[in-house]
Amino acid sequence: MSRNYPTRPETGVLLDVENLATGFKTGRGLVRAVDGVSLKLDRGKALGIVGESGSGKTILSRSIMGLLPRRGVVRAGEVRFEGARIDQLTIKQMRQYWGKEMAMIFQDPMTSLNPLMKIGAQITEPLKTHLGMGRETASDTAEKLLVDVGIPEAHRRLNQYPHELSGGMRQRVMIAIAMACGPTMLFADEPTTALDVTVQAQILDLLEEQRRDRNMSLILVTHDLGVVAGHTDEIVVMYAGKVVEKAPTDVLFSQMRHPYTEALLASIPKIEQPSHTRLHAIAGRPPDLVNPPTGCRFAPRCQYAQDRCRQQEPPLTAGEHPEHAYACWFPVVTGGFDRPAATDATTDSNVAVTIGGLR
Amino acid sequence: MTLITDTTSMTPTPLDVPPAAEPLPKQSRGRIHVGFWIALVWVAALLLMAIFADQLSFIRLPTTAVKNHGRSTAGYKLGPGWNAWFGVDSTGRDVFSKVIYGARTTLKVGLWSTVIGLLVGTFMGLIAGYFKGMYDRVISIVVDIMLAVPPLVLAIIIVYRVGDLQQDRPGDPGILKWFTRTEQITVVLSLLAIAPLARIVRALTMSLAQRDFVLAARSVGAKNFRIITREILPNLIPAMMSVAFTGLALLISAEAALAFLGFSVETGTPTWGKMINASYRDMDKAWWATLFPSLVLFLTVLAFNVIGDRIARHYDIREAAL
Repeated sequence: MSRNYPTRPETGVLLDVENLATGFKTGRGLVRAVDGVSLKLDRGKALGIVGESGSGKTILSRSIMGLLPRRGVVRAGEVRFEGARIDQLTIKQMRQYWGKEMAMIFQDPMTSLNPLMKIGAQITEPLKTHLGMGRETASDTAEKLLVDVGIPEAHRRLNQYPHELSGGMRQRVMIAIAMACGPTMLFADEPTTALDVTVQAQILDLLEEQRRDRNMSLILVTHDLGVVAGHTDEIVVMYAGKVVEKAPTDVLFSQMRHPYTEALLASIPKIEQPSHTRLHAIAGRPPDLVNPPTGCRFAPRCQYAQDRCRQQEPPLTAGEHPEHAYACWFPVVTGGFDRPAATDATTDSNVAVTIGGLR
Repeated sequence: MTLITDTTSMTPTPLDVPPAAEPLPKQSRGRIHVGFWIALVWVAALLLMAIFADQLSFIRLPTTAVKNHGRSTAGYKLGPGWNAWFGVDSTGRDVFSKVIYGARTTLKVGLWSTVIGLLVGTFMGLIAGYFKGMYDRVISIVVDIMLAVPPLVLAIIIVYRVGDLQQDRPGDPGILKWFTRTEQITVVLSLLAIAPLARIVRALTMSLAQRDFVLAARSVGAKNFRIITREILPNLIPAMMSVAFTGLALLISAEAALAFLGFSVETGTPTWGKMINASYRDMDKAWWATLFPSLVLFLTVLAFNVIGDRIARHYDIREAAL
């Protein structure tokens, strides 16, 4: 793992997002997809962003990275990367960050590789353009990268097209491409959602391994609390464009306060439950982000909601643990809640158990 | 339907047979139809004869007067037969060799205007579809205008006006003399090809630019030029090929239509449209002089259409499988 990447400090704050808001202009009005989100991420740490579809988690990661189209998008707030503001930068200036400082992998490896380019060409291209490598060095590095991400017969793979690889292999190739220029931060946008359950845990383990080896920060975006449980240091739960709860991973699972977090966790099937146990679904849908409801945005779907919830929006307040914060007037008390899997990765969901057993 | 019943009625292959021996994948890949091969052979034969007409002994020069038993055949005096396969025309020239030499002009004009249309149309479509906004609006208006102008009127204006400008006047030497009739026709026809290609490329680019692999390329810092040339353009090629072939058929018939109306290449250079124009009034006397060029024109247009259609379907299947 000795590549000539620039030396970087080992610790300290890498990413600092303050009050970030992103809206889309539509015919019906402004859709507030992300509405005042603040978060901090240290070097080498992993942050999970959790929420259901439409909660703004994907838009949040793309607006941090500056990958959203500029037209029709309204942005506010500040994003600091290595201490420098990057939210005001033009696309041209952002290109210095893309690939070299931050990279992203996507949900569906079937569509995120160019079907007409060989794997080798897709990995070597950023190496040649960003790191100025020659053809042979780039090809050697690409092979090493493929070995790093656990692809067998790496040399032969360089000459194959994406359709010759399985979904899990393609996601590994995506990770190799993202790793190519040694980014300090990786956004993984639902990296396991489109994959077979047997492959999901392998990919998550690979991401963690890469993060530790390279002292890279990771933002893991997912709808599955089980995915983030064993693989992150901190978790941010989002609902309707806002952070409703954030805490270090073990604190969140032991002292979760927000009813939405609780509901998300309850919706995960658990291995210790007898078969045919009914799954808890969260009734209703996320609110319309053009006209969000007054008061708490989760109130219409919350089983504990009271009048105050529907009238006044709860602020993000600190919990007992200094790094724990939640936005709820009537937080749930999780004492009797069976502590699920936060510390033990092999039981975080039945999915991971299957894998653990297989290996 | 027949394909499905075919496969189900087949005896099931034992599992230990290697997958390569199974006939199924080859069939579901879409058989290349007989029509496609006939079309390809037709086009290839026509192209080869047109290119090597000077070397092939069975093709006369289109300017050679055909003699029948030592006598002139001017005025359709010889029908189709061994001496002249497609008969002779009013000036006693071999219709077959004129058809072959006409193919030269027709294919040259058609291919060049398709190439120009492809280059300009693809460029316009890529810019409009990728950068959107003002670029898209301006290019779309230009394309709409190009589609709204009747091509015949445009051709007549260009050919007349350029011809006028080439005349020497007292104290005013004719300009644009370098601009030959063949080039003028090519330019007119390429204007016809640009607009539809630009539209298709624009639409495809817009949908391709939304695809994840383009975003993935952007997220590792690829520049626009790279994304357009490496990620989008290669994915456009199948669709462009099919449109180009169908468009080529259209341009060939458009060229013939122009020639039929008297707006064609320099006198002395035969084209199919000109041949039809020169002899259609004498059809009751000499059907061959009109029918054979028309038939060749019809078959060639059909062949290009069949090829274009086949390519479109072939790549449709692959796209769906991706």
